[in-house]
Amino acid sequence: MTTTTSTRTIAVNQDIQAQKKRRAAELRTSFAERGTFVVNLVSSPGAGKTSLLEATAKYWQGRRSMAVLVGDLATERDAERLRPFVPVEQLTTGGACHLELSLVERGLERLPDEDYEFLFIENIGNLVCPASHDLAEHLRVVLMSTTEGDDKPGKYPKMFRTSGAVVVSKSDLLPHVPFSVDAALADARLIQPDLRAFTVCSLSGEGIGDWCDYLDDARQRMLTSPQQVIEHAEK
Amino acid sequence: MHELSLVRSLLRQVERLRRQHGGIAVETIEVEIGPLSGVEPLLVREAFDALVVEESLAGAELVIHNVPLTARCLNCCADFELTEFDFCCTSCESRSIKITGGDEFRLLTVSLQSDLEAEETAKQISGKSAGART
Repeated sequence: MTTTTSTRTIAVNQDIQAQKKRRAAELRTSFAERGTFVVNLVSSPGAGKTSLLEATAKYWQGRRSMAVLVGDLATERDAERLRPFVPVEQLTTGGACHLELSLVERGLERLPDEDYEFLFIENIGNLVCPASHDLAEHLRVVLMSTTEGDDKPGKYPKMFRTSGAVVVSKSDLLPHVPFSVDAALADARLIQPDLRAFTVCSLSGEGIGDWCDYLDDARQRMLTSPQQVIEHAEK
Repeated sequence: MHELSLVRSLLRQVERLRRQHGGIAVETIEVEIGPLSGVEPLLVREAFDALVVEESLAGAELVIHNVPLTARCLNCCADFELTEFDFCCTSCESRSIKITGGDEFRLLTVSLQSDLEAEETAKQISGKSAGART
């Protein structure tokens, strides 16, 4: 017996990550309702994400409640550095080059269930893949250290285009390296003109006050007009 | 480097669609990739070739449409195409622009092969059971 087959075409026309994006949007709204401002911290490896979080926690000294989810391919080293200051969970990806929402959700289950004022997600050191993954954050912050090239933003347009703020770290090394803060920020603003910029030295604490004030303001904006902040994060 | 995980997620969506629609095989999968999608078309193709067998969709063909990066100027409302990641309006040179396309990896269509006789039988069965309930 012969079988009669036919072909039909089903139109889908949606982003491959549409479902994940919807889940991220729901989570972002529920964080806003609980008063938790979520920051996704991205950079190349070694730019100083963990140091910035240490400096932030030290600056606040318990005046703000914060928790950290930290991603790495292997080891608990970053979590161990932060544990003396704040509740922290390490997300080891085993090999994935970026964090995904499901890993964040798993980490959240292990964190003490509290209404934190700030939740920081320290992404895997990588300026490429993490740019394509929404982790339910309200703000994406990209870190650049002065030991990197100041022409980096133009080379990683998606990451800078999808970020709301840029932090230039290791400012104490500026006299010794050919990095120009002005050139780096000018390059970044060609891609994203609204980028807020901070120059910090996490070791000495220089610039950390301004950075923390900015975070306070950003959280305040989320509390007063959540919809605006949520839409901005999703654009 | 995340192409493997994105293509795996794509193939799972396709397999779900196939089952939902009772297809016996997937013939063609059409996707759209833009310059700011964060994926490299060549690596998507390699990932597809590697995974298509594993996800039991062997024989399916992947068609990739490369689309340009497009934007709308928030100042003068012009719609334009961006080249070289220069995020600037080509008419009024404003940098206040909104990306309107080319920043995603999209699944466009899935062509399924279905067995007409099996479908007919399935319709008859569901028709009978529906009749039995009334």
